[in-house]
Amino acid sequence: MNISLNWIKEFVNLSGLKVEDIKNKLTAHTVEVEQIIQQGDRFKNVVVAKILDVSKHPKADKLQIAIVDIGQEESLKIVCGAPNISTGQLVPLAMVGAILPNGLEIKKAEIRGEQSFGMLCAEDELGLGKDHAGIMILDKQAKVGQNFAEYLNLNDIVLEIDNKSISNRPDLWGHYGISRELAVLFDLKLKKYESKELKIKKQKEDIKNIEVEIKAKKLCSKYLALKIDNIKIEDSPDWLKEKLLAIGVKSINNIVDATNYVMFELGQPLHAFDSDAVDKIIVRMAEKNEKIITLDDNEKKLEENDLIIASSKEAIAVAGVIGGKNSEINNTSNSIIIESANFDAVSVRKTAQRLNSRTDAAMRFEKGLDPNLCLLAINKVAEIIKKLCPKAIFDFPIISVDNLNDKERIIELDLLWAEKIIGQKIESKEIKRILESLGLIIKEKSKNILDINIPSWRLKDLLIKEDIIEEIIRIFGYNNIVPILPKTEIIPPEKDYEMEMEGEIKNILSLGYKFSEIYNYSFVSEDQLLKLDLDPKNYIKLLNPLSSQHTLLRQTLSTNLLSNIKSNQAKYENINIFEIGNIFLNIAGGPNKDNDSSDSLPYQEKKLAIALAKDKKESFRGLKNVVFNAVYELSNGLELEFLPTESIISWADKKEKCLLILEGKEIGFLAKIDEVIAGKNGIKKETAICEIDFKNLLNIISKFGKKEYESLAKFPSINRDLAFVIDKKILFNDIKKEIKGFHDLITEVDLFDVYSGQNLEADKKSMAFHINYHSKEKTLTNEEVDVIQNNLIKKMEEKFGSKVRDF
Amino acid sequence: MKEKLLKLKEEIISKLAEVKDSKNLKDLEEKYFSRKSEFNDILKNIKDLNDDLKKEFGQLANNVKLELFKSLSEIKSKIENKENPKGDVDPTLPADKAEFGHLHPITQIRNEIESLFSSMGFMVLDGPELESDYYNFTALNFAPHHPAREMQDTFFVDIKNKDNQYDMVMRTHTSPVQIRAMKKYGAPLSAIMPGRCFRNEATDARHEHTFYQVEGIMIGENISFAHLKGVLELVGKKLYGKNTKLRMRPKYYPFVEPGSNGEYTCFLCAGKGCRVCKHTGWLEILGCGMIHPEVLKNGGIDSEKYSGFAFGFGLDRLVMLKYNIDDTRLFNSGDLRFLKQF
Repeated sequence: MNISLNWIKEFVNLSGLKVEDIKNKLTAHTVEVEQIIQQGDRFKNVVVAKILDVSKHPKADKLQIAIVDIGQEESLKIVCGAPNISTGQLVPLAMVGAILPNGLEIKKAEIRGEQSFGMLCAEDELGLGKDHAGIMILDKQAKVGQNFAEYLNLNDIVLEIDNKSISNRPDLWGHYGISRELAVLFDLKLKKYESKELKIKKQKEDIKNIEVEIKAKKLCSKYLALKIDNIKIEDSPDWLKEKLLAIGVKSINNIVDATNYVMFELGQPLHAFDSDAVDKIIVRMAEKNEKIITLDDNEKKLEENDLIIASSKEAIAVAGVIGGKNSEINNTSNSIIIESANFDAVSVRKTAQRLNSRTDAAMRFEKGLDPNLCLLAINKVAEIIKKLCPKAIFDFPIISVDNLNDKERIIELDLLWAEKIIGQKIESKEIKRILESLGLIIKEKSKNILDINIPSWRLKDLLIKEDIIEEIIRIFGYNNIVPILPKTEIIPPEKDYEMEMEGEIKNILSLGYKFSEIYNYSFVSEDQLLKLDLDPKNYIKLLNPLSSQHTLLRQTLSTNLLSNIKSNQAKYENINIFEIGNIFLNIAGGPNKDNDSSDSLPYQEKKLAIALAKDKKESFRGLKNVVFNAVYELSNGLELEFLPTESIISWADKKEKCLLILEGKEIGFLAKIDEVIAGKNGIKKETAICEIDFKNLLNIISKFGKKEYESLAKFPSINRDLAFVIDKKILFNDIKKEIKGFHDLITEVDLFDVYSGQNLEADKKSMAFHINYHSKEKTLTNEEVDVIQNNLIKKMEEKFGSKVRDF
Repeated sequence: MKEKLLKLKEEIISKLAEVKDSKNLKDLEEKYFSRKSEFNDILKNIKDLNDDLKKEFGQLANNVKLELFKSLSEIKSKIENKENPKGDVDPTLPADKAEFGHLHPITQIRNEIESLFSSMGFMVLDGPELESDYYNFTALNFAPHHPAREMQDTFFVDIKNKDNQYDMVMRTHTSPVQIRAMKKYGAPLSAIMPGRCFRNEATDARHEHTFYQVEGIMIGENISFAHLKGVLELVGKKLYGKNTKLRMRPKYYPFVEPGSNGEYTCFLCAGKGCRVCKHTGWLEILGCGMIHPEVLKNGGIDSEKYSGFAFGFGLDRLVMLKYNIDDTRLFNSGDLRFLKQF
């Protein structure tokens, strides 16, 4: 929103104030001023030029060549298409480098072989009106070479205000509201807003006033209509044009300009209808499939929850948003109806949004306007129209239909409480000054207790005593409040175990195993899943996705990690990455949905996924090493087991895949990606991924992963190496379990070699173990160990058909 | 034997003085200093002497040995220097590069922030990313038709509730964790809540639909606006140095009242004005305010007895400022060329 300081000066005396100070104060206390626009800057490089000579363009009949004087030594040559130029005229010239209001940048050009050093401008090209008939001819007071802005007497300064910063302040959407704030901030006097009540001579009996019927009472709390006859539509006078031009609003005609003028001054949008198109005004909801062609020549399809203004025949405006073409005033309009109404904020916003028509009016209505503005605004516009069209006939009183049950609001403020919340004493005299200058009415109820009556224009945003605190301290200055560090009891913060362990495993993986952490989106696409043979059916869908890439909520982290492998594989030989993030399942079991009901959100849990991709074929084993040791470290020594399984994630290799088992519980899986699927997904490296249920992992660690000192061995242990030749199908897990469980004195079993090939039968492998024998009570003798070992060999032969391998 | 030793010593010293090159030196070493040399034989014979002589001669022999070895090494280095004046070591050869793992830059800044607040007694809490409309909006005092609740700002998921309404969203801020924390822990309460958030916003270099925030609250019997300023000023000094200042101005958020935005002195130009702070000298970092009484109430906390402040900021923004990163999409790109820089 643009605010003209010249306009503001009609309500507060700004003399002596620097514009920088105005900007800074407004920003620090009220609204964000994005920039200061010197109005003269609008016409940089546009100057008054005198035409010295006009000749025909040698190669183009419709073009002329003008030689112009701009008060400098050399005159300029300009190619011009307009027919109305002649020697001696004073005209606006946009020189090379000028940027016109429509965005056109003027450059040196060659037009049909003739050089041109600028452009002579018509009114519309300068954003000054609609006229494009010919070059704007300036009056005799214009000085050759004079800056065009200076010629137009554009000396205004405009503040550009961030609309977002006033979204909760409907009272600030006009010059008067901003003036009120400035008066408070600089402790100046605010001029009372003058709006003369319209006086009507006795209404003639033979003509009928307009009839207003509000059907949608909930959405229209007030509707004022004023019929004015004998109007003459013409251009606005300069003062009005200039005022609107200053804030970047194009002049249209006297009536439209008058309604806009009042809107930008008070914040109350008005609309003017041509009476010929309006036999009656009905405020109602649109009917299904009802259509309207709006002022901007677009046909809009309306819906049943759009509020519209209609005649007895058809829609004539979308309420609070935009007028209809059918009732638009035009050059021949003679009788008009001015609407000043209050429409429901939400309804206007939704309709404006859907119709993609966020007009100045809609932007104001959607903030929730003060209904008391309606009368003020309609009286004001009547006053202006009287001035603009002295012959206008005001035969009709303002029709007012009112569905308002406006209540006053009184907020009680305890000054001691205020001091406690602010953390600093602000003198009650200062508090009263601030609040009263904002228009709040204060009654002292008792010592330190104020009753504060909220004015109508602040009913929307001042609801509770905390709102009053904000008013006090924002005017006092947030930056004038002295910072204090809170004094509290020393309570060491309770630690969230899961978050702490998350930090720990991240450190282990990145610092210890040189894996890099990835953040992937929480979303995946159907296409991505299908390519990995995953079924998208049970995935939670976004109702309103931004793109087809992000439509479903991820159920595993590996989907996106596989994409990371693909996108990085050309640049890195090895890819070591991991991610910790949430997945979302389409089943109940998540946190509660609200404080009261037992409804729950979908199940969400944190996963840890690690991916390893290599050119050399060792990703499965390599990743097993990483995950085993990382878990070992995180858990203070729990050993992960790898359990073969058939059913695992869809994209897994047929053989190189397993479940991860910790203390007998499944915590995740580890698998290499199947070659065919890898090919389909463009993954060129051998890739293995493991994915762990983080909460499960932590539950087990918190239960079993306790570190306890073990007294140092008093007696030496005996180590024997033993290799079994055994059927290839028999799994290490089973063999190890058998050896380890064979005797109490066997304390450690470590596999150190697996061999198959030469000297062994084709279906056999050799597995060599370090087997550690140890007793806590005595030193074992070789003979004792020999007995156990011989029995073990026998048992292994019985169970697995294994033979001891001789080296 | 003593004479023999001393004579040998003279002989060796004079020969050493004549040495011209390393070949020469090597021959000499072989002749006089090897295990089979005459000198070594003399030393070997010491053990056969009687104790008195052994002591006397032994000492002498040892001194001679030290003297000879000293001369040898002097000559050796002289010759080496002459023949190979700079030596054959190139100290500029590159070191072997080690592979490192990298924590995501947002994790790193998050760790920094978490440890700062932990040290001030704040808990670090987590909450669901797929959140109910109630916790994400209603409990935080968003009006039923607040624009943020609309589809063009917020991701809804395609699941209807019993009343046939879509009531679940990808959380648009970390603020819902405020309510969950209040419900769980009551007052007094000091906590920060870092995490991932979502907005239905088309992505470009400056906008992301997935981003990261930290939210903080402090609730107690006498918590004031001045306390909010005190804590945030301290945070600024810890993040950006002790000369950092805090500047605040009113800003509207439904869940705080009074509401404010917070800027810190630009750490790049120390407030002088530069490209990064758009020549204002200030960096807009924070949203903050006093927790709205309605929000306390929804968290089960008596707003007449307790008050509190809340603040939040974007982790992405902190990281982007810190490293001068110009494209916010890099954070979720999985591009190792980016991630391996941190």
